[in-house]
This record gives sequence, C-alpha cells and structure tokens, in this order.
Amino acid sequence: VGRDQTVISSGINAEYGVDVDAYDEEAYEDEARVQDDSGVAEVTERASKVKDLLSQMKTKEALVEALKSPPVGRDQTVKSQNYDTVMWVLKSFKGSDIDAAVADLSMVEVDILMKYLYKGFSCSPDKAANLLLWHEKVVAKGGLGSIVRVMVDRKGV
Amino acid sequence: VLSSCWKRKQWYQRRVRGTKETELQKHIERVKCVDWAPNTNRISTCAGDRNAYVWNLNAETGVWEPSLVLLRIERAATYIRWSPAEDRFAVGSGARLLSVCFYDNEHDWWVSKHIKKPIRSTILCVDWHPSNHILAIGSCDFKCRIFSAALKETNDKPEISGWMPKLSKFSALLAEYETQGWVHSVKFSPSGDRLAWAAHDASINIVHMDSKDSVIRSLTPSLPLLSIIWASEGSVVCAGHDNYPSLYNINGDTLSAGTRLDVKEKKAGGGMSAMARFQQLDRTGADTKDSTLGTTHQNAIVELRVTATGGDGTCTQFSSVGMDGKMVLWNLDALASSIADLKI
Repeated sequence: VGRDQTVISSGINAEYGVDVDAYDEEAYEDEARVQDDSGVAEVTERASKVKDLLSQMKTKEALVEALKSPPVGRDQTVKSQNYDTVMWVLKSFKGSDIDAAVADLSMVEVDILMKYLYKGFSCSPDKAANLLLWHEKVVAKGGLGSIVRVMVDRKGV
Repeated sequence: VLSSCWKRKQWYQRRVRGTKETELQKHIERVKCVDWAPNTNRISTCAGDRNAYVWNLNAETGVWEPSLVLLRIERAATYIRWSPAEDRFAVGSGARLLSVCFYDNEHDWWVSKHIKKPIRSTILCVDWHPSNHILAIGSCDFKCRIFSAALKETNDKPEISGWMPKLSKFSALLAEYETQGWVHSVKFSPSGDRLAWAAHDASINIVHMDSKDSVIRSLTPSLPLLSIIWASEGSVVCAGHDNYPSLYNINGDTLSAGTRLDVKEKKAGGGMSAMARFQQLDRTGADTKDSTLGTTHQNAIVELRVTATGGDGTCTQFSSVGMDGKMVLWNLDALASSIADLKI
C-alpha cells in the first residue's frame, strides 16, 4: 500500500525537485522500513511448495506455508509474488474449512494473515466477498488487537 | 487522601469518596502528570508549560507551596515519577529527553541532568527500579529502554546487578527493546527483576534481567493497553482502550490469556411493557434507553496505580482513572474470590 513509496514532497518542493527533509540534521530514519526478509528465490520456492500442498488438498498446511516469513522490505515484485501466493491459498478454501484452519494458527500467523487480508481489501476489491468471510473468522481468533497491529505496522506486506 | 490531575491548568486534591480538598494552581498550561511521594510527603507536577513544580506542605499553614524545578526543556513535560528513595524524580518530555531532578542544597533549588541519547521521540512513561539508580523509559520511537541514573552529585554507590552487569555512569544505556507501537506504560516488578511494558500494537512485553534477550511477548486480542502494573512478582494487571482492567499471569515463558477483572452483573428483570417499547421506538428510534457500555469505565482507562499492598508485597487494591472522568478502586482480594480461576 502507499507506505512503500518514498514521497519526495508535494507543493512547492515538488516543483523544485528538492527533498527538503533529507537535509534535516535531526531526521529520523525509521529503521523498521529498511529491512528485507525474503528474497525472490525463497518466495518462488514457497509458491511451488504451496502449489504442491494445494494439489494434494492440504489446504491448512498450504496456508501455514504461505504465511511463513513474508517479505516486508522495499522490493515490490517479491512482495506482490508472495501476495499472489497467499491470495491463491485463501481462494482455495471451502467456506466451512476456514474455522478449523484459523483455529490452529499462532498469534503471529494470525497477524500476518490479517495484514494480507487488508492488503487484499485495498489491492483486490474483486475478491472482497471471500476476504470478508476470512476477516470475520480471523477477528474471532485474533480480536481487535490483530487489526490494531496491522495499522501500526510500519513494514507493509 | 488521593490526588487527581486535571487536564486544565490546575489540579485538585481529593479525599477518598469525593470531596475536593485543595486546588493547586501554578501551572499555566495543561497539567500532564502528577506524582505523590508518600514518605517525604511531596507532590510533583509537570505540565505543558515546560515546567515542573515540587509542592511541599507547610505544616503550620496547611498550604502546599510550590518550588520551581529547572528542567531546561523546550517542549512540554509529559511524565513525572519520584524515585523509590524520594530524593530525586524523573521527568519525561516531548523534547526527546529525560530530566532527572535532584535537590541542590547549596542553592536551595531542584536541578536536572538530562538523558538524551539515543531517545528519538517523546517520552511517554518512566519507571524507577527499586535500587533508586536505574530507570526504564518508554517513548514514541517505539522503544523501551533502561538507563543508569547513578548521580555523582547525590553520592550514589551503584552496585552491580542483573540490569547493570558492570558499573555504568549516568545516562548509560543498559538495555533497549523494540515494539511496533508507542510504548505507553513501563513498570519494574516489585523486586525489580522483571520489566513489563505495554505498547500501542496491543502487546504486553515482559523481560527478566537474567535473560535480557528473551522477551515474553503477548499479542493480545484487545485494543491497545495504556497502563500496566504488577499485582505480584508473576502477574500484571493492565488496562487501556478496552475500558476494563485484566490480569495476566506469567507461566514460565508465556503469558496467560488475560482474565477480565470487570465483571458486571446484568441488570435483572425490569423489562418494559410492549406499549412503552413502541413509544420509545417512536420517540427516539431505539427501543432501549440504555446507551452505557457494559464496563465500569465508560471510556479508556488511562492510568492504574497500586493503592494498597498485602504483607508479601502483592497488590491488594489498585485504582484506575479513565477518560470518562471516573476513578475506580478495585479490590483484588474480593475479585479473586468472585471470579473463578483468578490466580494472582
């Protein structure tokens, strides 16, 4: 979502093309936004593992695999690849199986899933119906705290 | 006697059960925080006017007299706490630094020393370690830090402890922990061996001084917690935007799911007649009049304070103040017996 873009600035500064904030001596570099977790290879490998698991109808295991160490750095291609993997898994679930799958997730996995759900709401509004179904189940498990953690998260998925 | 802080320019002292006793007016901006030192009977206040005052009770006149503290900050002061020995206090501010203030006998005023690096944003909360020379700070740069506050001026003799494995001078950083949100509240356990902090990512974090790298982190399903206190060495009570306090127990290296301490009985019977219901619906568009929340506090709980402790140092009573203007006293003993499975 919008967090991944560095905004140069708007208005007068944009016209001059100068990023005034870069010259500020007391500028705060948010360390959290610089890290990078998964590389392309890892994400591709994960996608194929998930594909295998789904073809064997092991949807729960596929979900857990898809939610492992999501890429949170600045590389957009890697992130959207992982996003596609997660969306694919979510789509493969029958409505009745979602409860069981969510119940087995740890709180960390619940948080990651919630982040992808919200990314889904903003990037893929066509999938909204399915995502809303997932959202309801995930909130039942993770509570409002998991939604808060999506909002305060400075490393977007 | 309790004191309560008002988000206006003065603040009030109240007796338990309500009547206002005194009004202390000196600050010219909102009073942000108050702390009362019980043994030396001094009150310290800090406000948005970048000042802090220490109030001494004049025994003869019964009037509280303020004395100015030179904080030397250029932003509002946000938090103030007396140390356990009550010979100094710490003031956090929006100037991204902490002022540790002590009394200078020679000049007869309170002076401050700053802890500045590496704090990058407003300080939201401070807590003193029982040893009187270590403190923990929670700030808006998403970090919780522990510093040494050993002052040469007051002839401190710091000892090596779990938090301070080698003797460190004033403002030495002893530990630093990161969270995803602002750190709203930080507290040392009664013995000082553990540190707990609550952050805006709705998490509770606890660390033991012997294993400083392993933080017990509980991602709670509730809304962010604003205040945390220790009920005993192994359990914490926290409260925040969910309007009710809850108790968490430390089990080895996990934190139990919180037990809600605010259990309200549902109002028995008293239903309206069908006619009254329809009249209500017609008049107001809602068929029940009750718009109050099911919790004692009607808005977020901002601060918890231990008001009474039992023989072994465990908390027996604590108070909570909320944004709804209420102050509620909670008796943990009474709650322990009425709520099943409550372990303190």
